[in-house]
Amino acid sequence: MNALTILLKREYWEHKGAIFYTPAIMAAVFAGLMLIGSFSADEFVVTHNNEYTFSDHLPKLVDKFEELSGREQKQGVQLALYGTLVFFCGVMLLISLFYCLGCLYDERKDRSILFWKSMPVSDTKTVLSKFATVCFLIPISYFVVITAFQIYMMIFLTVLAWIGGSWGTMIWASSNLFGVMFNGLMALIMGMLWLSPFWAWLIFASSWAKKVAFMWAALPIIMLTIAEGWIFKTNYFIEMIAMRGANTFAIMNSNLHFTTHKEIFDIEVMRWYEVFGNSEFWIGLIVAGVFLAGAIYTRSVRNET
Amino acid sequence: MSALIEAKGLSKSYGNHKALDNVNFTVKRGRVVGLVGPNGAGKTTILNAILGLTSFDGDLTILGLKPDQNRHQIMQKVSFISDVAILPKWLVVENAIEYVNQVHPNFNKEKALRFLSKTKIPMKAKVKALSKGMVAQLHLALVMAIDAELLVLDEPTLGLDILYRKNFYNQLLSDFFNEERSILVTTHQIEEIENLLTDLIFVKDGKIILNDSMQSVSENYAEVMVGKERVEAAKALNPIIERDVFGRKVFLFEGVDREVLEALGEIHSPSVADIFVAKMEEV
Repeated sequence: MNALTILLKREYWEHKGAIFYTPAIMAAVFAGLMLIGSFSADEFVVTHNNEYTFSDHLPKLVDKFEELSGREQKQGVQLALYGTLVFFCGVMLLISLFYCLGCLYDERKDRSILFWKSMPVSDTKTVLSKFATVCFLIPISYFVVITAFQIYMMIFLTVLAWIGGSWGTMIWASSNLFGVMFNGLMALIMGMLWLSPFWAWLIFASSWAKKVAFMWAALPIIMLTIAEGWIFKTNYFIEMIAMRGANTFAIMNSNLHFTTHKEIFDIEVMRWYEVFGNSEFWIGLIVAGVFLAGAIYTRSVRNET
Repeated sequence: MSALIEAKGLSKSYGNHKALDNVNFTVKRGRVVGLVGPNGAGKTTILNAILGLTSFDGDLTILGLKPDQNRHQIMQKVSFISDVAILPKWLVVENAIEYVNQVHPNFNKEKALRFLSKTKIPMKAKVKALSKGMVAQLHLALVMAIDAELLVLDEPTLGLDILYRKNFYNQLLSDFFNEERSILVTTHQIEEIENLLTDLIFVKDGKIILNDSMQSVSENYAEVMVGKERVEAAKALNPIIERDVFGRKVFLFEGVDREVLEALGEIHSPSVADIFVAKMEEV
Protein backbone atom coordinates (compact mmCIF):
# COMPACT_ATOMS: atom_id res chain seq x y z
CA MET A 1 0.00 0.00 0.00
CA ASN A 2 2.81 2.33 0.97
CA ALA A 3 4.59 1.47 -2.27
CA LEU A 4 1.50 2.30 -4.32
CA THR A 5 1.10 5.65 -2.55
CA ILE A 6 4.57 6.83 -3.50
CA LEU A 7 4.18 5.57 -7.07
CA LEU A 8 0.92 7.52 -7.40
CA LYS A 9 2.63 10.57 -5.92
CA ARG A 10 5.31 10.19 -8.55
CA GLU A 11 2.63 10.22 -11.28
CA TYR A 12 1.07 13.28 -9.71
CA TRP A 13 4.40 15.14 -9.62
CA GLU A 14 5.00 14.42 -13.28
CA HIS A 15 1.49 15.18 -14.49
CA LYS A 16 0.11 17.72 -12.05
CA GLY A 17 -0.52 20.09 -14.96
CA ALA A 18 -3.00 17.71 -16.56
CA ILE A 19 -4.25 16.10 -13.37
CA PHE A 20 -4.81 19.19 -11.24
CA TYR A 21 -4.02 22.55 -12.83
CA THR A 22 -6.08 21.96 -15.97
CA PRO A 23 -9.39 21.45 -14.12
CA ALA A 24 -8.45 24.07 -11.53
CA ILE A 25 -7.91 26.68 -14.23
CA MET A 26 -11.14 25.63 -15.92
CA ALA A 27 -12.98 26.06 -12.62
CA ALA A 28 -11.38 29.45 -12.06
CA VAL A 29 -12.41 30.59 -15.54
CA PHE A 30 -16.01 29.43 -15.00
CA ALA A 31 -16.08 31.10 -11.60
CA GLY A 32 -14.76 34.32 -13.11
CA LEU A 33 -17.28 34.22 -15.96
CA MET A 34 -20.14 33.74 -13.46
CA LEU A 35 -18.99 36.79 -11.52
CA ILE A 36 -18.54 38.94 -14.60
CA GLY A 37 -21.85 37.70 -15.94
CA SER A 38 -23.79 38.71 -12.87
CA PHE A 39 -22.09 42.09 -12.55
CA SER A 40 -22.71 42.96 -16.15
CA ALA A 41 -26.13 41.35 -16.39
CA ASP A 42 -27.84 44.73 -15.92
CA GLU A 43 -26.14 46.06 -19.04
CA PHE A 44 -27.29 43.17 -21.17
CA VAL A 45 -30.87 43.36 -20.02
CA VAL A 46 -31.04 47.13 -20.44
CA THR A 47 -29.78 47.12 -24.01
CA HIS A 48 -32.06 44.32 -25.10
CA ASN A 49 -35.15 45.13 -23.17
CA ASN A 50 -35.75 48.49 -21.55
CA GLU A 51 -38.53 47.36 -19.28
CA TYR A 52 -36.52 46.11 -16.32
CA THR A 53 -32.97 45.20 -15.32
CA PHE A 54 -31.39 42.06 -13.92
CA SER A 55 -31.41 43.62 -10.45
CA ASP A 56 -35.13 44.25 -10.80
CA HIS A 57 -35.69 40.78 -12.11
CA LEU A 58 -33.66 38.94 -9.47
CA PRO A 59 -36.19 39.23 -6.61
CA LYS A 60 -38.86 37.83 -8.91
CA LEU A 61 -36.65 34.88 -9.75
CA VAL A 62 -35.96 34.28 -6.07
CA ASP A 63 -39.66 34.45 -5.30
CA LYS A 64 -40.39 32.04 -8.11
CA PHE A 65 -37.82 29.60 -6.73
CA GLU A 66 -39.27 29.80 -3.25
CA GLU A 67 -42.75 29.13 -4.59
CA LEU A 68 -41.60 25.84 -6.12
CA SER A 69 -42.37 22.59 -4.32
CA GLY A 70 -39.62 21.07 -2.18
CA ARG A 71 -39.10 18.35 -4.76
CA GLU A 72 -38.70 20.85 -7.59
CA GLN A 73 -36.29 22.97 -5.56
CA LYS A 74 -34.15 19.93 -4.89
CA GLN A 75 -34.22 19.01 -8.52
CA GLY A 76 -33.21 22.50 -9.59
CA VAL A 77 -30.27 22.84 -7.23
CA GLN A 78 -29.00 19.31 -7.79
CA LEU A 79 -29.24 19.67 -11.56
CA ALA A 80 -27.04 22.75 -11.35
CA LEU A 81 -24.53 20.82 -9.23
CA TYR A 82 -24.47 17.65 -11.33
CA GLY A 83 -24.39 19.74 -14.49
CA THR A 84 -20.87 20.91 -13.69
CA LEU A 85 -19.55 17.36 -14.22
CA VAL A 86 -20.43 17.50 -17.91
CA PHE A 87 -17.83 20.18 -18.57
CA PHE A 88 -15.08 18.60 -16.51
CA CYS A 89 -15.45 14.97 -17.53
CA GLY A 90 -14.88 15.67 -21.23
CA VAL A 91 -11.57 17.32 -20.42
CA MET A 92 -10.74 14.53 -17.97
CA LEU A 93 -11.23 11.85 -20.65
CA LEU A 94 -9.04 13.79 -23.05
CA ILE A 95 -6.11 14.29 -20.65
CA SER A 96 -6.41 10.64 -19.59
CA LEU A 97 -5.98 9.60 -23.21
CA PHE A 98 -2.74 11.56 -23.46
CA TYR A 99 -1.60 10.40 -20.04
CA CYS A 100 -1.94 6.73 -21.00
CA LEU A 101 -0.22 7.20 -24.35
CA GLY A 102 2.76 8.87 -22.68
CA CYS A 103 3.08 6.97 -19.43
CA LEU A 104 5.46 4.22 -20.61
CA TYR A 105 6.69 5.92 -23.77
CA ASP A 106 8.09 9.18 -22.37
CA GLU A 107 10.39 7.44 -19.89
CA ARG A 108 11.98 5.51 -22.74
CA LYS A 109 12.19 8.60 -24.91
CA ASP A 110 14.10 10.67 -22.33
CA ARG A 111 15.95 7.56 -21.08
CA SER A 112 14.87 8.23 -17.50
CA ILE A 113 13.65 4.61 -17.55
CA LEU A 114 17.23 3.70 -16.59
CA PHE A 115 16.82 5.72 -13.42
CA TRP A 116 13.39 4.27 -12.62
CA LYS A 117 14.68 0.76 -13.29
CA SER A 118 17.64 1.34 -10.99
CA MET A 119 15.11 1.46 -8.15
CA PRO A 120 13.76 -1.71 -6.53
CA VAL A 121 10.29 -1.29 -8.03
CA SER A 122 8.94 -4.14 -10.15
CA ASP A 123 7.56 -3.60 -13.63
CA THR A 124 4.25 -5.00 -12.38
CA LYS A 125 3.94 -2.35 -9.67
CA THR A 126 5.02 0.37 -12.09
CA VAL A 127 2.43 -0.53 -14.72
CA LEU A 128 -0.32 -1.02 -12.14
CA SER A 129 0.45 2.41 -10.68
CA LYS A 130 -0.11 3.95 -14.12
CA PHE A 131 -3.42 2.11 -14.42
CA ALA A 132 -4.44 3.18 -10.91
CA THR A 133 -3.55 6.76 -11.81
CA VAL A 134 -5.98 6.86 -14.70
CA CYS A 135 -8.78 4.92 -12.95
CA PHE A 136 -8.55 6.51 -9.49
CA LEU A 137 -6.05 9.35 -9.08
CA ILE A 138 -7.27 11.39 -12.05
CA PRO A 139 -11.03 11.13 -11.26
CA ILE A 140 -10.36 11.84 -7.57
CA SER A 141 -8.34 14.93 -8.43
CA TYR A 142 -11.05 16.15 -10.81
CA PHE A 143 -13.62 15.39 -8.12
CA VAL A 144 -11.77 17.63 -5.65
CA VAL A 145 -11.79 20.51 -8.12
CA ILE A 146 -15.42 19.88 -9.07
CA THR A 147 -16.43 19.87 -5.40
CA ALA A 148 -14.65 23.17 -4.79
CA PHE A 149 -16.46 24.60 -7.81
CA GLN A 150 -19.81 23.24 -6.62
CA ILE A 151 -19.35 24.88 -3.22
CA TYR A 152 -18.40 28.12 -4.93
CA MET A 153 -21.55 27.84 -7.01
CA MET A 154 -23.68 27.32 -3.89
CA ILE A 155 -22.17 30.40 -2.27
CA PHE A 156 -22.68 32.32 -5.50
CA LEU A 157 -26.36 31.34 -5.64
CA THR A 158 -26.76 32.19 -1.96
CA VAL A 159 -25.41 35.69 -2.52
CA LEU A 160 -27.76 36.13 -5.46
CA ALA A 161 -30.61 35.02 -3.21
CA TRP A 162 -29.57 37.61 -0.60
CA ILE A 163 -29.61 40.32 -3.22
CA GLY A 164 -33.00 39.06 -4.31
CA GLY A 165 -34.29 39.34 -0.76
CA SER A 166 -34.06 35.80 0.62
CA TRP A 167 -31.78 34.06 3.11
CA GLY A 168 -30.95 31.43 0.57
CA THR A 169 -31.24 28.64 3.10
CA MET A 170 -33.48 26.73 0.70
CA ILE A 171 -30.56 26.35 -1.67
CA TRP A 172 -28.45 24.58 0.96
CA ALA A 173 -31.36 22.60 2.33
CA SER A 174 -32.25 21.19 -1.10
CA SER A 175 -28.71 20.56 -2.24
CA ASN A 176 -28.07 17.22 -0.49
CA LEU A 177 -24.45 18.30 -0.97
CA PHE A 178 -22.78 15.22 0.53
CA GLY A 179 -24.97 12.91 -1.50
CA VAL A 180 -24.19 14.87 -4.64
CA MET A 181 -20.47 14.72 -3.84
CA PHE A 182 -20.49 10.99 -3.20
CA ASN A 183 -22.56 10.16 -6.29
CA GLY A 184 -20.40 12.45 -8.40
CA LEU A 185 -17.16 10.84 -7.24
CA MET A 186 -18.45 7.31 -7.75
CA ALA A 187 -19.85 8.17 -11.19
CA LEU A 188 -16.45 9.52 -12.27
CA ILE A 189 -14.52 6.49 -10.97
CA MET A 190 -16.96 3.91 -12.34
CA GLY A 191 -16.98 5.74 -15.67
CA MET A 192 -13.19 5.51 -15.83
CA LEU A 193 -13.26 1.83 -14.84
CA TRP A 194 -15.88 1.14 -17.49
CA LEU A 195 -13.31 2.33 -20.02
CA SER A 196 -10.51 0.25 -18.46
CA PRO A 197 -9.87 -1.98 -21.52
CA PHE A 198 -9.34 1.18 -23.54
CA TRP A 199 -6.92 2.69 -21.00
CA ALA A 200 -5.04 -0.61 -20.68
CA TRP A 201 -4.74 -0.83 -24.46
CA LEU A 202 -3.27 2.69 -24.59
CA ILE A 203 -0.83 1.84 -21.78
CA PHE A 204 0.19 -1.28 -23.68
CA ALA A 205 0.70 0.75 -26.86
CA SER A 206 2.71 3.25 -24.83
CA SER A 207 4.99 0.46 -23.61
CA TRP A 208 6.01 -0.73 -27.05
CA ALA A 209 5.64 2.24 -29.40
CA LYS A 210 8.91 3.14 -31.08
CA LYS A 211 7.64 6.51 -32.22
CA VAL A 212 4.35 8.46 -32.02
CA ALA A 213 2.49 6.30 -29.50
CA PHE A 214 -0.85 7.60 -30.74
CA MET A 215 -0.30 5.98 -34.13
CA TRP A 216 0.68 2.65 -32.59
CA ALA A 217 -2.49 2.73 -30.52
CA ALA A 218 -4.81 3.83 -33.33
CA LEU A 219 -3.48 1.76 -36.24
CA PRO A 220 -4.54 -1.71 -35.02
CA ILE A 221 -8.01 -0.36 -34.25
CA ILE A 222 -8.28 1.21 -37.70
CA MET A 223 -6.92 -1.91 -39.42
CA LEU A 224 -9.31 -4.22 -37.57
CA THR A 225 -12.20 -1.95 -38.47
CA ILE A 226 -11.25 -1.90 -42.13
CA ALA A 227 -10.63 -5.66 -42.16
CA GLU A 228 -13.99 -6.36 -40.57
CA GLY A 229 -15.78 -4.11 -43.03
CA TRP A 230 -13.99 -5.73 -45.94
CA ILE A 231 -14.46 -9.37 -44.91
CA PHE A 232 -17.81 -9.35 -43.12
CA LYS A 233 -19.28 -6.09 -44.38
CA THR A 234 -20.03 -5.18 -40.76
CA ASN A 235 -18.66 -2.67 -38.27
CA TYR A 236 -19.31 -4.23 -34.88
CA PHE A 237 -15.79 -3.64 -33.63
CA ILE A 238 -15.71 0.13 -33.99
CA GLU A 239 -19.32 0.34 -32.80
CA MET A 240 -18.35 -1.56 -29.68
CA ILE A 241 -15.53 0.90 -28.97
CA ALA A 242 -17.75 3.92 -29.66
CA MET A 243 -20.42 2.43 -27.40
CA ARG A 244 -17.91 1.98 -24.60
CA GLY A 245 -16.98 5.63 -24.87
CA ALA A 246 -20.60 6.78 -24.99
CA ASN A 247 -21.44 4.60 -22.00
CA THR A 248 -18.57 6.10 -20.03
CA PHE A 249 -19.86 9.59 -20.64
CA ALA A 250 -23.37 8.45 -19.73
CA ILE A 251 -22.22 6.76 -16.50
CA MET A 252 -20.27 9.86 -15.47
CA ASN A 253 -23.37 11.99 -16.02
CA SER A 254 -25.96 9.41 -14.96
CA ASN A 255 -26.76 11.53 -11.89
CA LEU A 256 -27.84 14.35 -14.15
CA HIS A 257 -29.90 11.95 -16.23
CA PHE A 258 -31.74 10.53 -13.26
CA THR A 259 -32.31 13.92 -11.60
CA THR A 260 -34.03 15.39 -14.64
CA HIS A 261 -36.27 12.34 -15.04
CA LYS A 262 -35.92 13.00 -18.73
CA GLU A 263 -34.12 11.08 -21.47
CA ILE A 264 -31.04 13.22 -22.01
CA PHE A 265 -28.99 10.37 -23.45
CA ASP A 266 -30.01 8.36 -26.45
CA ILE A 267 -28.68 5.16 -24.87
CA GLU A 268 -29.54 3.12 -21.84
CA VAL A 269 -27.97 4.80 -18.83
CA MET A 270 -26.60 2.96 -15.80
CA ARG A 271 -26.28 4.47 -12.36
CA TRP A 272 -22.77 4.03 -11.04
CA TYR A 273 -23.72 1.11 -8.76
CA GLU A 274 -25.55 -0.65 -11.58
CA VAL A 275 -22.24 -0.93 -13.40
CA PHE A 276 -21.20 -3.70 -10.98
CA GLY A 277 -24.09 -5.85 -12.17
CA ASN A 278 -23.18 -5.53 -15.82
CA SER A 279 -21.25 -8.42 -17.35
CA GLU A 280 -19.66 -6.15 -19.96
CA PHE A 281 -17.96 -4.29 -17.13
CA TRP A 282 -16.29 -7.45 -15.83
CA ILE A 283 -15.36 -8.65 -19.30
CA GLY A 284 -13.79 -5.23 -19.86
CA LEU A 285 -11.71 -5.61 -16.71
CA ILE A 286 -10.46 -9.03 -17.86
CA VAL A 287 -9.50 -7.61 -21.25
CA ALA A 288 -7.75 -4.75 -19.44
CA GLY A 289 -5.84 -7.34 -17.40
CA VAL A 290 -4.57 -9.00 -20.58
CA PHE A 291 -3.35 -5.70 -22.02
CA LEU A 292 -1.73 -4.73 -18.72
CA ALA A 293 0.09 -8.08 -18.61
CA GLY A 294 1.37 -7.27 -22.09
CA ALA A 295 2.52 -3.85 -20.91
CA ILE A 296 4.29 -5.36 -17.89
CA TYR A 297 6.16 -7.82 -20.08
CA THR A 298 7.06 -5.19 -22.65
CA ARG A 299 8.33 -2.79 -20.01
CA SER A 300 10.62 -5.50 -18.64
CA VAL A 301 12.37 -5.99 -21.98
CA ARG A 302 12.21 -2.62 -23.70
CA ASN A 303 14.35 0.28 -22.52
CA GLU A 304 14.64 2.37 -25.64
CA THR A 305 12.38 3.92 -28.21
CA MET B 1 33.81 -14.74 0.44
CA SER B 2 31.04 -15.11 -2.10
CA ALA B 3 31.21 -13.43 -5.46
CA LEU B 4 28.94 -10.49 -6.15
CA ILE B 5 28.76 -11.18 -9.85
CA GLU B 6 29.22 -14.56 -11.45
CA ALA B 7 28.96 -14.89 -15.22
CA LYS B 8 29.37 -18.22 -16.97
CA GLY B 9 28.96 -18.60 -20.71
CA LEU B 10 27.17 -15.27 -20.97
CA SER B 11 26.04 -14.73 -24.56
CA LYS B 12 23.73 -12.36 -26.37
CA SER B 13 22.94 -12.13 -30.06
CA TYR B 14 21.14 -9.52 -32.08
CA GLY B 15 20.22 -11.43 -35.22
CA ASN B 16 23.49 -12.72 -36.61
CA HIS B 17 25.57 -10.29 -34.63
CA LYS B 18 27.03 -11.73 -31.45
CA ALA B 19 27.13 -8.86 -28.96
CA LEU B 20 28.47 -11.20 -26.27
CA ASP B 21 30.16 -14.48 -27.02
CA ASN B 22 30.59 -16.91 -24.13
CA VAL B 23 31.78 -14.40 -21.55
CA ASN B 24 33.00 -15.63 -18.15
CA PHE B 25 34.04 -13.49 -15.20
CA THR B 26 33.48 -13.00 -11.49
CA VAL B 27 33.54 -9.90 -9.34
CA LYS B 28 34.32 -10.41 -5.66
CA ARG B 29 33.65 -8.06 -2.77
CA GLY B 30 35.92 -5.12 -2.12
CA ARG B 31 36.99 -4.71 -5.74
CA VAL B 32 36.90 -1.80 -8.16
CA VAL B 33 36.65 -3.36 -11.58
CA GLY B 34 37.22 -1.43 -14.77
CA LEU B 35 35.37 -2.77 -17.79
CA VAL B 36 37.17 -1.39 -20.80
CA GLY B 37 36.57 -1.81 -24.50
CA PRO B 38 35.99 0.12 -27.69
CA ASN B 39 32.50 1.27 -28.68
CA GLY B 40 30.31 -1.64 -29.63
CA ALA B 41 32.52 -4.21 -27.88
CA GLY B 42 29.70 -5.33 -25.60
CA LYS B 43 30.36 -3.37 -22.39
CA THR B 44 26.89 -1.90 -22.19
CA THR B 45 25.35 -5.27 -23.01
CA ILE B 46 27.23 -6.81 -20.07
CA LEU B 47 26.07 -4.01 -17.75
CA ASN B 48 22.48 -4.25 -19.02
CA ALA B 49 22.49 -8.00 -18.41
CA ILE B 50 23.79 -7.45 -14.86
CA LEU B 51 21.11 -4.83 -14.20
CA GLY B 52 18.28 -6.96 -15.53
CA LEU B 53 17.67 -4.60 -18.42
CA THR B 54 18.14 -7.19 -21.14
CA SER B 55 17.67 -10.88 -21.75
CA PHE B 56 20.70 -13.14 -22.31
CA ASP B 57 21.85 -16.74 -22.69
CA GLY B 58 24.10 -18.47 -20.20
CA ASP B 59 24.39 -18.22 -16.42
CA LEU B 60 24.55 -14.91 -14.64
CA THR B 61 23.93 -14.41 -10.95
CA ILE B 62 24.11 -11.16 -9.02
CA LEU B 63 24.25 -11.73 -5.25
CA GLY B 64 22.87 -15.18 -5.99
CA LEU B 65 19.86 -13.82 -7.91
CA LYS B 66 19.06 -13.96 -11.61
CA PRO B 67 18.84 -10.40 -12.95
CA ASP B 68 16.50 -11.16 -15.86
CA GLN B 69 13.88 -12.44 -13.41
CA ASN B 70 14.56 -10.57 -10.16
CA ARG B 71 15.51 -7.06 -11.22
CA HIS B 72 13.55 -5.30 -8.49
CA GLN B 73 15.04 -7.53 -5.77
CA ILE B 74 18.57 -7.10 -7.07
CA MET B 75 18.12 -3.35 -7.16
CA GLN B 76 17.80 -3.32 -3.38
CA LYS B 77 21.48 -4.19 -3.25
CA VAL B 78 22.76 -2.80 -6.52
CA SER B 79 22.98 0.86 -7.49
CA PHE B 80 23.43 2.20 -10.96
CA ILE B 81 24.51 5.45 -12.54
CA SER B 82 24.55 5.67 -16.28
CA ASP B 83 25.36 8.70 -18.38
CA VAL B 84 24.06 11.33 -15.95
CA ALA B 85 21.37 12.78 -18.17
CA ILE B 86 18.87 10.09 -17.19
CA LEU B 87 17.27 11.81 -14.19
CA PRO B 88 13.88 12.95 -15.51
CA LYS B 89 13.77 16.67 -16.24
CA TRP B 90 10.48 17.32 -14.45
CA LEU B 91 11.62 15.82 -11.15
CA VAL B 92 12.04 18.26 -8.24
CA VAL B 93 15.11 17.63 -6.06
CA GLU B 94 13.19 17.19 -2.80
CA ASN B 95 10.70 14.90 -4.53
CA ALA B 96 13.53 12.78 -5.88
CA ILE B 97 14.75 12.27 -2.31
CA GLU B 98 11.26 11.50 -1.05
CA TYR B 99 10.73 9.01 -3.87
CA VAL B 100 13.94 7.07 -3.30
CA ASN B 101 13.36 7.20 0.45
CA GLN B 102 9.94 5.60 0.03
CA VAL B 103 10.75 2.94 -2.55
CA HIS B 104 14.25 1.96 -1.42
CA PRO B 105 14.59 -0.02 1.81
CA ASN B 106 18.35 0.69 2.05
CA PHE B 107 18.25 4.44 1.48
CA ASN B 108 19.53 6.79 4.16
CA LYS B 109 17.75 10.12 3.72
CA GLU B 110 19.92 12.02 6.22
CA LYS B 111 23.02 10.91 4.39
CA ALA B 112 21.64 12.10 1.05
CA LEU B 113 20.69 15.46 2.56
CA ARG B 114 24.16 15.78 4.06
CA PHE B 115 25.78 15.22 0.65
CA LEU B 116 23.42 17.69 -0.96
CA SER B 117 24.04 20.35 1.67
CA LYS B 118 27.65 20.45 0.50
CA THR B 119 26.49 21.40 -2.99
CA LYS B 120 24.70 24.43 -4.35
CA ILE B 121 21.70 22.39 -5.50
CA PRO B 122 18.41 24.03 -4.41
CA MET B 123 15.91 21.55 -2.96
CA LYS B 124 12.97 23.12 -4.82
CA ALA B 125 14.65 23.09 -8.24
CA LYS B 126 13.63 20.83 -11.08
CA VAL B 127 16.30 18.67 -12.67
CA LYS B 128 15.96 20.61 -15.93
CA ALA B 129 17.03 23.79 -14.11
CA LEU B 130 20.28 22.21 -12.87
CA SER B 131 23.59 22.23 -14.70
CA LYS B 132 24.93 18.92 -15.94
CA GLY B 133 27.44 18.87 -13.10
CA MET B 134 24.71 19.47 -10.54
CA VAL B 135 22.61 16.64 -11.96
CA ALA B 136 25.62 14.36 -11.58
CA GLN B 137 26.07 15.51 -7.97
CA LEU B 138 22.40 14.92 -7.25
CA HIS B 139 22.48 11.45 -8.75
CA LEU B 140 25.66 10.64 -6.86
CA ALA B 141 24.15 11.90 -3.59
CA LEU B 142 21.12 9.67 -4.12
CA VAL B 143 23.22 6.64 -4.98
CA MET B 144 25.80 7.04 -2.23
CA ALA B 145 23.05 7.23 0.37
CA ILE B 146 21.94 3.74 -0.69
CA ASP B 147 23.54 0.96 1.30
CA ALA B 148 24.34 -1.05 -1.83
CA GLU B 149 26.78 -3.91 -2.23
CA LEU B 150 27.46 -3.32 -5.88
CA LEU B 151 27.64 -0.01 -7.69
CA VAL B 152 27.54 -0.08 -11.48
CA LEU B 153 28.77 3.01 -13.29
CA ASP B 154 28.32 3.36 -17.05
CA GLU B 155 30.25 6.35 -18.34
CA PRO B 156 29.18 8.23 -15.20
CA THR B 157 31.21 11.35 -15.89
CA LEU B 158 30.49 11.79 -19.59
CA GLY B 159 30.31 15.45 -20.50
CA LEU B 160 31.43 16.73 -17.10
CA ASP B 161 34.40 19.01 -16.65
CA ILE B 162 37.60 17.85 -15.03
CA LEU B 163 36.82 19.31 -11.59
CA TYR B 164 33.55 17.42 -11.34
CA ARG B 165 35.14 14.25 -12.63
CA LYS B 166 37.90 14.28 -10.01
CA ASN B 167 35.42 15.11 -7.30
CA PHE B 168 33.06 12.41 -8.42
CA TYR B 169 35.59 9.63 -8.03
CA ASN B 170 37.15 11.05 -4.86
CA GLN B 171 33.76 11.15 -3.21
CA LEU B 172 32.98 7.62 -4.32
CA LEU B 173 36.16 6.27 -2.81
CA SER B 174 36.00 8.16 0.46
CA ASP B 175 32.26 7.92 1.15
CA PHE B 176 31.09 4.79 -0.58
CA PHE B 177 33.74 2.22 -1.21
CA ASN B 178 34.81 -0.34 1.41
CA GLU B 179 35.88 -3.99 1.56
CA GLU B 180 32.28 -5.21 1.58
CA ARG B 181 31.33 -3.37 -1.57
CA SER B 182 32.37 -3.47 -5.18
CA ILE B 183 32.28 -1.00 -8.02
CA LEU B 184 32.04 -1.96 -11.68
CA VAL B 185 32.84 0.95 -13.96
CA THR B 186 33.07 1.57 -17.69
CA THR B 187 34.60 4.75 -19.02
CA HIS B 188 36.57 6.06 -21.96
CA GLN B 189 38.58 8.26 -19.65
CA ILE B 190 40.49 5.27 -18.38
CA GLU B 191 43.57 7.27 -17.35
CA GLU B 192 41.48 9.11 -14.76
CA ILE B 193 40.48 6.01 -12.90
CA GLU B 194 43.32 3.60 -13.41
CA ASN B 195 44.73 4.37 -9.98
CA LEU B 196 41.40 3.44 -8.38
CA LEU B 197 41.04 0.07 -10.07
CA THR B 198 41.84 -3.24 -8.41
CA ASP B 199 40.85 -5.33 -11.41
CA LEU B 200 40.76 -4.89 -15.13
CA ILE B 201 38.59 -6.51 -17.79
CA PHE B 202 39.11 -5.80 -21.49
CA VAL B 203 36.32 -6.61 -23.90
CA LYS B 204 36.65 -6.80 -27.65
CA ASP B 205 34.05 -7.98 -30.16
CA GLY B 206 31.91 -9.53 -27.45
CA LYS B 207 34.79 -11.50 -25.93
CA ILE B 208 36.92 -10.95 -22.86
CA ILE B 209 40.55 -10.61 -23.90
CA LEU B 210 42.00 -9.66 -20.53
CA ASN B 211 40.73 -10.30 -17.04
CA ASP B 212 43.22 -9.82 -14.25
CA SER B 213 43.99 -7.92 -11.08
CA MET B 214 45.83 -4.63 -11.47
CA GLN B 215 48.68 -6.06 -9.48
CA SER B 216 49.32 -8.94 -11.83
CA VAL B 217 48.76 -6.65 -14.81
CA SER B 218 51.57 -4.43 -13.57
CA GLU B 219 53.76 -7.48 -12.98
CA ASN B 220 52.92 -8.98 -16.33
CA TYR B 221 53.31 -5.98 -18.58
CA ALA B 222 56.42 -3.91 -18.93
CA GLU B 223 57.44 -1.13 -21.24
CA VAL B 224 61.09 -0.96 -22.15
CA MET B 225 62.88 1.90 -23.83
CA VAL B 226 65.53 0.33 -26.02
CA GLY B 227 68.51 1.89 -27.74
CA LYS B 228 69.16 1.19 -31.46
CA GLU B 229 71.80 -1.42 -30.83
CA ARG B 230 69.43 -3.69 -28.86
CA VAL B 231 66.32 -3.41 -31.08
CA GLU B 232 66.85 -6.77 -32.72
CA ALA B 233 67.30 -8.48 -29.36
CA ALA B 234 64.08 -6.85 -28.13
CA LYS B 235 62.09 -7.92 -31.18
CA ALA B 236 63.19 -11.49 -30.60
CA LEU B 237 61.26 -11.47 -27.35
CA ASN B 238 57.92 -10.91 -29.18
CA PRO B 239 56.82 -7.48 -27.94
CA ILE B 240 53.10 -6.94 -28.35
CA ILE B 241 53.56 -3.42 -29.64
CA GLU B 242 56.36 -1.04 -30.52
CA ARG B 243 56.53 2.70 -31.03
CA ASP B 244 59.12 5.38 -31.66
CA VAL B 245 59.99 7.93 -29.02
CA PHE B 246 62.75 10.50 -29.74
CA GLY B 247 64.62 8.17 -32.04
CA ARG B 248 64.49 5.32 -29.60
CA LYS B 249 62.14 2.37 -29.63
CA VAL B 250 59.65 1.61 -26.88
CA PHE B 251 58.45 -1.99 -26.67
CA LEU B 252 55.58 -3.36 -24.63
CA PHE B 253 56.10 -6.92 -23.40
CA GLU B 254 53.65 -9.35 -21.92
CA GLY B 255 54.85 -12.06 -19.54
CA VAL B 256 58.57 -11.62 -20.13
CA ASP B 257 60.96 -12.03 -17.20
CA ARG B 258 62.03 -8.68 -15.63
CA GLU B 259 65.69 -9.64 -15.50
CA VAL B 260 65.72 -10.31 -19.23
CA LEU B 261 64.09 -6.95 -19.91
CA GLU B 262 66.41 -5.03 -17.62
CA ALA B 263 69.28 -6.06 -19.84
CA LEU B 264 67.58 -4.33 -22.80
CA GLY B 265 67.05 -0.92 -21.30
CA GLU B 266 64.98 1.26 -18.99
CA ILE B 267 61.76 -0.39 -17.69
CA HIS B 268 58.52 1.58 -17.14
CA SER B 269 55.10 0.52 -15.95
CA PRO B 270 52.82 0.99 -18.91
CA SER B 271 49.55 2.84 -18.44
CA VAL B 272 46.30 0.94 -18.78
CA ALA B 273 45.62 2.99 -21.90
CA ASP B 274 48.88 1.72 -23.47
CA ILE B 275 48.07 -1.87 -22.63
CA PHE B 276 44.55 -1.35 -23.93
CA VAL B 277 45.74 -0.03 -27.27
CA ALA B 278 48.24 -2.87 -27.56
CA LYS B 279 45.67 -5.55 -26.77
CA MET B 280 43.16 -4.08 -29.19
CA GLU B 281 45.65 -4.06 -32.05
CA GLU B 282 46.85 -7.55 -31.23
CA VAL B 283 45.15 -10.46 -33.04
